[in-house]
Amino acid sequence: MAAPEQPVGARFARSAMLLSATAWFGYLFLLLPSFVVIPMSFGNAFEMVFPPRSLSTALFHKFFFESNWMSATWMSFRVAVGATALAIVLGVPAAYSLARGNYPGKKYVTMLLLSPILVPIIVIALGLYFHFASLGITGSELALIFGHAVYTTPFVIVTSMAGLRHVDQNLETAATIMGAGPLYTFFRVTLPLLKPAIFAGGLFAFLMSFDEVVIAYFISKAGSTTLPVKMFSSIQWEISPVLAAVSTFLTVISLIVCLIGAFMQKK
Amino acid sequence: MAMVRLEKASKHYGDVVALREVDLSVMEGEFVTLLGPSGSGKTTMLNLIAGMLAPTSGSIHIAGKDMTQVPPNKRGLGMVFQNYALMPHMTIFENIAFPLRVRKMANDEIKKKVAAVLELVHLPHVAGRKPRELSGGQQQRISLARCIVYSPSIILMDEPLGALDKKLREQMQLELKRLHTELKITMLYVTHDQEEALTMSDRIVLLNDGQIEQMGPPDELYFKPRSVFAADFLGDSNMWDVRVESTGAQATAMLPSGHKVLAGSGNFAKAGDKVKAMIRPENITVVREGEDAGRFDNHAEGTAIDSIILGGVIKHYVKLKDDVTITAQELTRSGRRALTPGQMVRLAWRSDDTLLLPLSGKIAA
Repeated sequence: MAAPEQPVGARFARSAMLLSATAWFGYLFLLLPSFVVIPMSFGNAFEMVFPPRSLSTALFHKFFFESNWMSATWMSFRVAVGATALAIVLGVPAAYSLARGNYPGKKYVTMLLLSPILVPIIVIALGLYFHFASLGITGSELALIFGHAVYTTPFVIVTSMAGLRHVDQNLETAATIMGAGPLYTFFRVTLPLLKPAIFAGGLFAFLMSFDEVVIAYFISKAGSTTLPVKMFSSIQWEISPVLAAVSTFLTVISLIVCLIGAFMQKK
Repeated sequence: MAMVRLEKASKHYGDVVALREVDLSVMEGEFVTLLGPSGSGKTTMLNLIAGMLAPTSGSIHIAGKDMTQVPPNKRGLGMVFQNYALMPHMTIFENIAFPLRVRKMANDEIKKKVAAVLELVHLPHVAGRKPRELSGGQQQRISLARCIVYSPSIILMDEPLGALDKKLREQMQLELKRLHTELKITMLYVTHDQEEALTMSDRIVLLNDGQIEQMGPPDELYFKPRSVFAADFLGDSNMWDVRVESTGAQATAMLPSGHKVLAGSGNFAKAGDKVKAMIRPENITVVREGEDAGRFDNHAEGTAIDSIILGGVIKHYVKLKDDVTITAQELTRSGRRALTPGQMVRLAWRSDDTLLLPLSGKIAA
């Protein structure tokens, strides 16, 4: 008697299951440590352990009301908003020129404008430190905004250029032939159609600045600094349990920003 | 008055010549079609007029003014694109109002004008919709309305019906023609579709390799092509290599087999020259049993290869003695049957319908 026949796909299905199980395991192994801090942040105010031995919101209370963590948070927020605004104002016209323009050396201009992506961030940070020191603005919030704009502008340029590729150039031609000047065409035709791409690039820039440690560490001064830098220094000197609450807060903020992005994309 | 005039306009891209010293005038109220294969320079010509390209040499005049150096937004033209180019983020109303807003027209007047032009293209109910909610044909009518609304001196159309299916295309051709006659708009139309050109134009400009091959009313281009290229590009044609025997009011030419062909005058040639003889398939008659072919002065006999019925017309392919294949075309009629392959066939045609054309170049106008 022959062995009972297997359906043709059965062996394939089993190995596919094994593959996806491995993938999931690997993914969770990498991801879970980031989420471990969430239950930890609801532990008591004196120790950082997993699983937390008692549940409370004491750490959040401390973060929001009792320490100087909030001032760092607000500073991060102000810097991120400033850097994002600057990146959009600089990046969108640059992207327009690179995507639509036709002039000698455009390739090199593109490379120059996108170079902050390629240069190691520590090198950018060091360069900015010396530059701002010679200008005498090291440690100011404005210097941080400038520094982060250098870092985030290339990303706004890249997303805007991708967006411009989806804006039919015939629309701009049509507007021009109907009598609209270049500025009128840009603000009434191109910009409205480019809005989703600019929005996505802006969100990205905001998150990058909000999270950024290296540049901020080099440029800001000890007393007033951004949230990630404060976290970094606090983990060096004293491992404060508040860090868990701050991490949770950061994760939630990132998640909200990404959800807004996804929602806008769908619309 | 000439609404558009090109004077010795040339466009070079490095060594490549896209347009070579072209002269063209489009008169007020005229419907002129630029016809030609892709790469013949018709889109280049349109872009020169629109101002999207600058000519390498020569000048462009619009409505009597030299506009060679004027930017496209100051030329007062209209343009209809193949992909409609309606602003996807604006309603139909705002799309049509766009050129009026650019011209800083008052709101009340804009409302009146947009409503009137929507009425004109038979789409008064779509003002509040977005372009993507309309069909291709409707979008193209809106894009035309968007031009009409500000009465530009000329409307340029770049293969506007290329994206539509055949039925709709024919409908739109009639619609365009109607709007042209009603409003007396000057139109410059670009297409590679010869039927479209023949249907709509007052005048066809046939382009070949960056130069004007022939220019004239559709019937002139169809019945009196001045070159092999023109005869080939417009309509079907039988084209034979012949040697000229004599010219005059009526010319005589000889096929390689020695068969004599009578043709209309071939004054450009002299006896002994090798030329082409061209006859339209619909001018060749299949002579049936018992029919009198006395009114024709050209006769030939051959064997039937095949017949194809194309709905309204039937095409017969017949081989003459010396391997010359003739295509004859008749209107389909009940009782008019396809030829049996191998059957002997008598063909006849008139010398007036036989044109002699030079092997290369064209007959001087």
